[in-house]
Amino acid sequence: MGHHSNWPEWLYVGVIIALMVWVGAEAWNVERLVEHVPADAEVIIVTAQQWFWSFEHEDGTKEIGTLHVEAGKAYKFEIISKDVNHSFNIHDYVVLMDAVPGRVNTVWFAPDKAGEHDIQCREYCGLLHYNMRGKLIVEEPSR
Amino acid sequence: MRNLLGLFLVLAILVVIPSVDHVFAQADEPAKYIDRRVLIWNLFFKLMTVAFTVGAVVSGTLIWIVWRFRETHPQAKPTEYEKSDTWGGPA
Repeated sequence: MGHHSNWPEWLYVGVIIALMVWVGAEAWNVERLVEHVPADAEVIIVTAQQWFWSFEHEDGTKEIGTLHVEAGKAYKFEIISKDVNHSFNIHDYVVLMDAVPGRVNTVWFAPDKAGEHDIQCREYCGLLHYNMRGKLIVEEPSR
Repeated sequence: MRNLLGLFLVLAILVVIPSVDHVFAQADEPAKYIDRRVLIWNLFFKLMTVAFTVGAVVSGTLIWIVWRFRETHPQAKPTEYEKSDTWGGPA
């Protein structure tokens, strides 16, 4: 082979490295923002068991199947399971976290406006998995 | 080599440094409530844009190479082997 320029190859390698750095930085940043729980987030203990969800608020209020929260506030879910693996999902708010026996997994979110949303199990957990649903009711802020 | 260094310097100035700067600048802002839907969708959109752009360039290059260097291309030059019509074995 005679002389030929390597220039395009190196340009391509450089562009790809630059793009990967950019994409990596963006992904790292989003991960950091999503995992940063606000200090004022209210803790809600979410218990998964075949085949329903139960919730316990900070003030001790308990709910089964339906969770009431307020718009404009941040909530941190501490998710546990009493039997098998489940996965806590509020599809409309892109909340998804596994419930694993013996572990406390956390995820947080801040609903921005009043409304009703579905909660569902996203990890096959037995016969009635398909019906392991709940309701998230976001209410207007109380103050 | 100097050209190469120059190229990487230009890329660093254009892309790498602004990306890193962008990330660290955001760390200084007070963490107010974020909208996961928006953040995650935006990230997905950016990743897809990069993936499809690179995919289009790579597949476009491959298609062009196959088209340009086919035997029947008007400007195709036969290789040494094709010229001599010896394909590895004794003539």
